[in-house]
Amino acid sequence: MEPRRYDHRPRVLGLLLAGLACAGCAAADEPAPVAVELISEYAGVVPGQPSQLGLRLRHGARWHTYWINPGDSGLPTTLKWTLPVGFKAEDVDWPLPQRFEVGGLYNFGYDGEIVLPVALDVPADAKPGSTVPIRAEAKWLVCREECIPGTAALALDLPVVEAPAHADPRWTAQFAAARLRQPQANAWKGEVHEDGPRIRVTLRGPGLPDGDGLDAFVAERKVLDNKPPALHRDGDALVIDAGKSEYFTTAPATLDVVVTAPAATGARGWSVKVPYGAASAPPPAPTR
Amino acid sequence: MKPFAFVFAAACAVAAALSSAAPVIGQPAPDFTLTDSTGTPQTLSAYKGRVVVLEWTNPECPFVRKHYGAGNLQKQQADAAAAGVVWLTVNSSAPGKQGHLDADAANAWVSAAGGHAQAYLLDADGTVGHAYDAKTTPDMYVVDAQGVLRYMGGIDSIASADKDDLAHATQYVPQALAEIAAGKPVSVPVSEPYGCSVKYAR
Repeated sequence: MEPRRYDHRPRVLGLLLAGLACAGCAAADEPAPVAVELISEYAGVVPGQPSQLGLRLRHGARWHTYWINPGDSGLPTTLKWTLPVGFKAEDVDWPLPQRFEVGGLYNFGYDGEIVLPVALDVPADAKPGSTVPIRAEAKWLVCREECIPGTAALALDLPVVEAPAHADPRWTAQFAAARLRQPQANAWKGEVHEDGPRIRVTLRGPGLPDGDGLDAFVAERKVLDNKPPALHRDGDALVIDAGKSEYFTTAPATLDVVVTAPAATGARGWSVKVPYGAASAPPPAPTR
Repeated sequence: MKPFAFVFAAACAVAAALSSAAPVIGQPAPDFTLTDSTGTPQTLSAYKGRVVVLEWTNPECPFVRKHYGAGNLQKQQADAAAAGVVWLTVNSSAPGKQGHLDADAANAWVSAAGGHAQAYLLDADGTVGHAYDAKTTPDMYVVDAQGVLRYMGGIDSIASADKDDLAHATQYVPQALAEIAAGKPVSVPVSEPYGCSVKYAR
């Protein structure tokens, strides 16, 4: 979960076509569990300059979709792109997940409105004056207690323009909000220790959060169980004490850890890659 | 620790006490008795000497519908029955929650689906679901003739609600059953289950 600094990308231009879709809507008399559309931050793309797309999800009350690691059940939202030669959509820059508890099981994902940002690589030989047909098949699972799988064929036609690109005013607020929901970069270092049924991640570095309401997640499945971990400060370290997944089979090379803290406007959070390597070494005695 | 974790030998109870309530591969599977949809009590240990498959289900879950809609589960059940394997379907949806069925509704559902399970077990209070730490529907377990848990986890290798993925997925239960029948170790004894969360009472 290395945060891609998409907020520092050169400004590009863009026009956007919203493909609004609700596949698998339960009943006609009920509001859609989720409305899905493809949006572009800019009104056009500039040859050789990366641009910014987003999958905008607007959930009905109490409905949610999933993070890259969905937790005890659920499925991550996926995008399959069909793009002209030379264009490439990067992986989703997953926003900070929320934790949902249903009947003692835990899921990670999003409710309300969320944009899943996707960086678009634009080839240097794209021809100004032409139009780029951007097509994506989105698949998601939306749940409150019950779950409904959805799929939509999304389309967006963007003009190729000479620099500079102009922001599309319709989506400025959405992309600004999406940036606030991205994990922040940091200079933390971490290590992992396995201790029987527990896995402890110890983080050190400047600006570690403190206080109540901290939560932690890992992008990899089948490593931690999905129950809320205990987080505490140990001197200058932040220790995440989590249960080991009962489906644990092989250790990942690295653990993509996300730490979230409550903030005035939703959560803020950080991501850090922690080598899993010497996880079997005994941990130092925990102190509080 | 829940009392039903102690139904087997002391060694099992110790192992269970050291970890969570989740059952452990290679250890005795938690014993239970549940009433099935015909009103008959079904006790796991009564099937000692035969291999038993446990299938967690929720008839309204799209992932369950994927596998029944494509005939995948009915075929696995029929193949298992032909091989002398006991297949028990378990519904842990609480009353008022999605997928909860009473006995009559369960019988009607099995009949409509063309199911071939030996019995459809009603676990409305979720006791057995929690004993097995069943998380999703479907969620699958295979217990060998000695009562030892040999497989737990997903129904297959591709986590999706798409029937189209079935052709490319490894079906873990038939694979485990074939390996057990051949006296081999189960090559994939644990996988992560996928699907809807089990609709337990809060």
